[in-house]
Amino acid sequence: MRVVKSLAVFAMLPLLLLLSAPSQAPAVEERKAKSIEELAKRYDSSGCKQCHEAIYNEWEQSLHARSIFGTGRTALTVATTVKVGLMSWKYSGVKKPEDVKVKHVMVCFKCHLPQIAEATDDVAKEIVLNSIRYGDKDASAGEKDKIEKHLSKVSINCLVCHQRNAITHKWVDGFPQQNEVYGSKEGVHADAAHPLIKKSPIMGESILCGQCHGLGPNFELENPSQCGTLYGSYLWAYRAEGGQESCQECHMRKSKLGHNMQSYNDINMGKTAVDFRVETLGYIWRDKAKMIPQTLVKIEMINRAGHAIPDG
Amino acid sequence: MPIPQQLGRGDKMGRGPYEKSGIIRDNGLPPNKPVFENFEIPFPAEFSKKDGKDVTNILDYDMTVDIELIYEPFGDKDTGITWHKVTRKVSIEKGGV
Repeated sequence: MRVVKSLAVFAMLPLLLLLSAPSQAPAVEERKAKSIEELAKRYDSSGCKQCHEAIYNEWEQSLHARSIFGTGRTALTVATTVKVGLMSWKYSGVKKPEDVKVKHVMVCFKCHLPQIAEATDDVAKEIVLNSIRYGDKDASAGEKDKIEKHLSKVSINCLVCHQRNAITHKWVDGFPQQNEVYGSKEGVHADAAHPLIKKSPIMGESILCGQCHGLGPNFELENPSQCGTLYGSYLWAYRAEGGQESCQECHMRKSKLGHNMQSYNDINMGKTAVDFRVETLGYIWRDKAKMIPQTLVKIEMINRAGHAIPDG
Repeated sequence: MPIPQQLGRGDKMGRGPYEKSGIIRDNGLPPNKPVFENFEIPFPAEFSKKDGKDVTNILDYDMTVDIELIYEPFGDKDTGITWHKVTRKVSIEKGGV
């Protein structure tokens, strides 16, 4: 009996060590995903729906859920980036779409699909070729539908915000681990693939969103560009001037949108973002001897959002 | 909107995200600062001369003004979203000196 107990203790030790091991190193370097399918599988968050159905349903309505395909416009912009940008630049190394590597598409995918950093150049090529084909005039409706479904397999899903991007300061807080998810509390997580939940110190902070919603040119790229500048506006035009609310406060909590964190697509977000006051005055202006009847319309607008509107 | 600078140089606006690097100017609404816009709309009137003097024949003394704040994420009204709409009736007095 004693032997059995000892064995049990020894058996538990590795598990306890595993549970308490500090996340001092990046998640185990896995083989890079070689296809969209493989990358989608690695970042499969469909299991989250079992326990977090309401949140999952909210997310499904969001633009995050279709970050690559968008309304079709995003995919077409990826195609334009290659055809009009990369292929026209002398030193890009891209003469044809098949030359595209991950580093080339990071201008788009740093934010639209950050997990592509864990994929081979084949995945970059696969997305680009599909995006270009989607825009081809001779692509049939059926083919386009197939492409849409294929590109929509990858997105900004639960595991991007609650794992991959959940820690910004990795030397301070540790590297995100593949068996963990990150939220507002610590403990055991009823999911075989992610049995632990850890507290992310930034889950309620704007910096979480700022990783993608932009400061300006991304100088870490060989050919810097910017898509969004919203976080820059938040820092320098809002926080610097005394604003105190976070992205999550307005786009998730006050709006009651939760994980369907919309901006202009939600009419109430737009209405509440701008105070709009109008005064009118009818009068007759005298231009020398000429009487000119006119209306003066005076409009005062105050943007109550935490960033400039429209954003960039 | 923050008007992006093409490739971070010169005075041209960049269009595609692959060439946007910098901001030339921002003509949007900054947070928490009032922005004022004034518009002057003439009433319908005919202007003529009588005995060397300017004569104004006002055709309508009442005007209905619709003021809309439309957000145009793609730069055109077709896809614009109306955030605010205010309708005002404005009149000018008849007669006078």
